[in-house]
Amino acid sequence: MFIVAESNQLYLGDMLFYLISFLIMSALVWHFAWKPVTQMMQKRADKIANDIDSAAKSREEAQKLASKRQEELKGSRQEAATIVDNAKQSGESQRAEIIATAQQDAQNLKDQAQKDAEQARQDALRGAKEDVANLSIEIASKLIHKQLNADDQQALIDSYIEGLVKHE
Amino acid sequence: MGGDAFTFELFGLTFNWTNLISGTIVFVLTFFFLFGLSRHLQMKPTGGQNILEWIVEFTNGIVRGQMPSETSSFYSFFVFVLFVFIFIANQLGLIIQFGWNGHEIVKSPTADPVVTMTLALCAVTLSHFAGVARQGVKGYFADYFKPFSLMFPIKLVEEFSNFLTLGLRIFGNIYAGELLLKLLAQMAFSHGIPTIIVSLPLEIIWQGFSVFIGAIQAYVFVTLTTVYISRKVTGE
Repeated sequence: MFIVAESNQLYLGDMLFYLISFLIMSALVWHFAWKPVTQMMQKRADKIANDIDSAAKSREEAQKLASKRQEELKGSRQEAATIVDNAKQSGESQRAEIIATAQQDAQNLKDQAQKDAEQARQDALRGAKEDVANLSIEIASKLIHKQLNADDQQALIDSYIEGLVKHE
Repeated sequence: MGGDAFTFELFGLTFNWTNLISGTIVFVLTFFFLFGLSRHLQMKPTGGQNILEWIVEFTNGIVRGQMPSETSSFYSFFVFVLFVFIFIANQLGLIIQFGWNGHEIVKSPTADPVVTMTLALCAVTLSHFAGVARQGVKGYFADYFKPFSLMFPIKLVEEFSNFLTLGLRIFGNIYAGELLLKLLAQMAFSHGIPTIIVSLPLEIIWQGFSVFIGAIQAYVFVTLTTVYISRKVTGE
């Protein structure tokens, strides 16, 4: 054959030797180099994929947490505003109530005072009337006692009798 | 390559000392090269592990480009070992050429047609085996008569020429490279100092080029092997 022109002969023994040696070397390389290396590469690929997955997951979680916080913050702000509003409102209403009560009290007091004053006036008036009556009677009796001398008595009796006569 | 073949007979088979010794050296070198690189494997690769993983990625890339990943795991390994082995075999003759008593003892095993045809035979046999394993014997042979039966002789020739060219291409390249190296070395010592001065740079340049050729040929060999296998595995 022309292929073996260089070698002069077809060395079947060489072919066999190479075949067997190649198989043995392949087995050794498979066991000592190929298997551990490809396993390690596979492991690394898995790890990287896992890392990417977990990173995406944790980022998503963080985002969720952040949005939740934001919402909570908004809620608490609103709550604070509501509390302040409520306090304001209740203060307002309390103020109004206090004012109303005070006004009422003042009115009552005023009314009472007016009433008392009226009463006092009435009492005073009535006292004065009685005093005037008593005084006038006293004065009249005193006048009658002192000034009714003989002439006057005569005149009075005369006028009285005259009057009686006229009435008759 | 000077000298007669250095052979001996055993069990009715002819053995060639040159091939046996060179081959053993390459097998041992290949194993210890890969063995040394695969020590202390870590999740975060350092040093040798990087080189080994680069080679694995490289050969895996060749295989992955040709066939679907579910069928590729075994062939990836075959291509990986074949690539490293042929690469080292190609470079061996550039570094060491050793003769004794008019016989060659150490040279590139791939500069011998018997060795390259053995490797080609392995690759082609594996591709046929893959075809039979996928389609069954009947389906596999039916492929030779597709799309019509007149294609049969052409396909037969194609298969045979695949085998021949696969083995002879690498043999031709490496053999020619080593022959030229040897001729340059002979020229260097033919007329004393002047020829040494002229030959030395030429030898250096040709050695560098041969390293390149050796790498390319290893790549071409495994790429074609992958193509032949994938054609049988994936169908055309």
